Amino acid sequence: MNKIEAKNVNVFYGEKQALFDINMDIQEKQVTALIGPSGCGKSTFLRCLNRMNDVIDICKVEGEIKINDYNINQKATDVVRLREKIGMVFQKPNPFPKTLYENISYGPEIHGMAQSKDELDQIVEDSLKKAALWNEVKDRLNEPGTGLSGGQQQRLCIARAISVKPEVILMDEPCSALDPIATAQIEELIDELKKEHTIVIVTHSMSQAARVSQQTGFFHLGKLIEVGSTDMIFKNPNQQQTQDYITGRFG
Amino acid sequence: MINREEFLNKRYKSEKRFQFYGKSAIVLALLFLAIFLFKIFSTGYTAFQKTWITIPINYDPEFMYLDADQKPSIQDLEDSEYFDVGIESFAALDQNANEDQITDIKRMFAFIFEEEIKYHILSNPDDFGKIVEVKLTASDDLDQVFKGNYPRELPEERRRVTDYQLKIFDKLSAEGKVESNFNFSFFTNADSREAELAGIASSFMGSLFSILVCLAVSFPVALLAAIYLEEFAPKNRLTDFIEVNINNLAAVPSIVFGLLGLGVLLAVFGLPRSTPLVGGITLSLMTLPTIIIAARASLKAVPPSIREAALAMGASRMQTTLHHTVPLSLPGTLSGTIIGLAQALGETAPLILIGMVAFVNTIPGSPMDPAASLPVQIYIWAESAERGFVEKVSACIMVLLIFLVLMNLVAQMVRHKFEKKWN
Amino acid sequence: MTEKPHTVKSYEEQLQHLSNDLVIMGGNCELAFSNAIKAICKNDHALADDVINNDTVIDNFETQIEQEVVNLIALRQPMAIDLRETVTALKMSSDLERVGDLAKNIAKRTKLIKKKLPNELTESIERVGLLVQKQLKSVLDSYTNRSPDIAQDVWEKDEQVDDLTNNCMEEVIKYLKSDSENIEYGSHLLFVTKNIERIGDHLTNVAEQVYFLVNGTYLEGDRPKGSQSIVTGEK
Repeated sequence: MNKIEAKNVNVFYGEKQALFDINMDIQEKQVTALIGPSGCGKSTFLRCLNRMNDVIDICKVEGEIKINDYNINQKATDVVRLREKIGMVFQKPNPFPKTLYENISYGPEIHGMAQSKDELDQIVEDSLKKAALWNEVKDRLNEPGTGLSGGQQQRLCIARAISVKPEVILMDEPCSALDPIATAQIEELIDELKKEHTIVIVTHSMSQAARVSQQTGFFHLGKLIEVGSTDMIFKNPNQQQTQDYITGRFG
Repeated sequence: MINREEFLNKRYKSEKRFQFYGKSAIVLALLFLAIFLFKIFSTGYTAFQKTWITIPINYDPEFMYLDADQKPSIQDLEDSEYFDVGIESFAALDQNANEDQITDIKRMFAFIFEEEIKYHILSNPDDFGKIVEVKLTASDDLDQVFKGNYPRELPEERRRVTDYQLKIFDKLSAEGKVESNFNFSFFTNADSREAELAGIASSFMGSLFSILVCLAVSFPVALLAAIYLEEFAPKNRLTDFIEVNINNLAAVPSIVFGLLGLGVLLAVFGLPRSTPLVGGITLSLMTLPTIIIAARASLKAVPPSIREAALAMGASRMQTTLHHTVPLSLPGTLSGTIIGLAQALGETAPLILIGMVAFVNTIPGSPMDPAASLPVQIYIWAESAERGFVEKVSACIMVLLIFLVLMNLVAQMVRHKFEKKWN
Repeated sequence: MTEKPHTVKSYEEQLQHLSNDLVIMGGNCELAFSNAIKAICKNDHALADDVINNDTVIDNFETQIEQEVVNLIALRQPMAIDLRETVTALKMSSDLERVGDLAKNIAKRTKLIKKKLPNELTESIERVGLLVQKQLKSVLDSYTNRSPDIAQDVWEKDEQVDDLTNNCMEEVIKYLKSDSENIEYGSHLLFVTKNIERIGDHLTNVAEQVYFLVNGTYLEGDRPKGSQSIVTGEK
């Protein structure tokens, strides 16, 4: 089932066009990887999905982006509600410089999701457990989140993102700052999370895309060159450009 | 073909030369500072000492116009005259003194000798009718003589201290009746025409009130302006224009702000002249751009990843700003504010224009009372002719410097203590 | 489909090296097989010795290719065309090694036949041998040219190989029936014929792999089979 449908999406940074007529369907409860060389527009596309491009004054997004058949790319969309439904994890782990507990409880608090302190405690515990971080941090919830290792920080950010029970989780190169062990832990986590969430992940590591995703989209120079099952993209892509990119013949 | 070896040597040499220039610059700057501080301290430290002369005071009921047989009440003592007690006691110092010489002796003491004599008998009523030793404040000239700052070798007609006075003083001094103690009155007295009695209490309180008013006005205004400009305002020509003008405002000479205070606050709004309220508002005009610039810089230094994290969690822009960005920028903003206030503290010109240069011999109790300020006090004393004020100027500069150093220390501490590390 | 060179030159060289090794190995198989056919037809024992001795070269090639493939997978993680290239090389090398083994077996049996065979028999063996030689050449060409068409052609022509081996088989049976003295040599010849047919089958495997290498899809449908299947025993 299609969770997200992008139709004729064009993005402009001032005069410069960053994305050209992107048409892409993203399947529910699957992992969709977006790959492509730097500056190809994959992150820009990702940020269209939760309207994070709104932050940039000169950025203009055209076209239809339907999530659950509702077009989010219109003025009337409430971005606060949208971002509650669509969480995001960034390239560099960016926990708030507050305690571990406050990092997780922030989202539920501002969205008024917990009636009592006990309920909030439960949400924090559940989120940390889902992010496979509970056992490592349960005794030091009042220590600053910035004191964790890079991999733990990134899992903390994932826990923070899932604390508001989003339907979709966007991940923008979540492992690019992590070592291979931490990367493997995040990948395992992604595998778990896809049971309940739709995940879109931008990655520079093709092997990572191949490992974690079921669908892969290849972007180049602002165009979506090819999208299809990860199997197909990595074994026998239809487009020469895709093949050149994934086999390392890009120049 | 260049000789590579020689070329390399040249590069090393030029680097050494450069380091030498840098070091000499630092040494030069330190030298200036050292000379300045030495000058201030060497002339100023004596102001913290005050000279006292102990002489026998004759509390003869006759001189106090009281009944000798009856023990007077406290009220009686309060109402009595002590001028004659003083004069008679002074005359007793030299049996052969004529009328003029007695006047000379009287001038050896501060004009508040009556108060001091009265104060003694009020606290020791049993001394009524007795002759007891009482400590009296020496006049500023003798104070200088005792501290060794007075040119005794000048011919008599060119000094204010007469030979006769010096003779009496030396005699008392030899008897160990002259002593010098810590000068509390420098900190507790208001300004005075008499150097030995002048203190900084009025100007210190004036400065304190001005700074508090300045802080109360400029900090919230500057913080709000900075937050709006940095976090909310669209980036367009208007905001660029505003930004340029804020930067220009920081460079406007302070006397211009004084004129503004004079023209607007006093003339249009009719606020009371010479008060820390007006002074503080005027100074806040000056501090405003400094704080705005500091606050914007520290807001800008908050990594955008924190904002993104909050926004992606579904926080509104205001929540993002108030929950995350502003708390993180506060240490920088606060230390910028303190530096701005320290600048304002040292400002003289605008305060002179709004009338805070007036002679104020009362200690202000609120920002609405007339007051001077420390730098203005320095200016006033530096203008005075009496020798006794020279050391006061230096002492006042020392107080001001200590005040500034303390504020900068607080700024540093705030920065270190509250700065959060995000990586 | 001609590919642009890789950004990493050493990777490009490794893939090229692998491909070259496979072509040389194929050439060796071609030589071994044609010599084996010549030896059996002419009853040339010296040539047969040659074939037997040279088989180690082919075996060595197989191990070498296997190592190259393992290295590539471990160190380069090939994707898409490169992945097919490496995996195909591994499978092709094992098929070609079998071709070499079968040629060696023909040569060994040649050495056990001590007299000149009847002409009808040698002609029949030569005929099927030549066809298989042609098939071998074609399939190697299809690999060097990355031509799925030639590969499919080879795949389809296996039917003819089957037909000719059936003929050949009939000749051998006739030879066996003619004299009980012939039983020893005749049974060797049965295996020789069977070996030639097996070689043909390995070549169709190779053809399938070349087709997959280029297109990424498999040759579909049942391979056409010879009408009478004496060799395979199918009806």
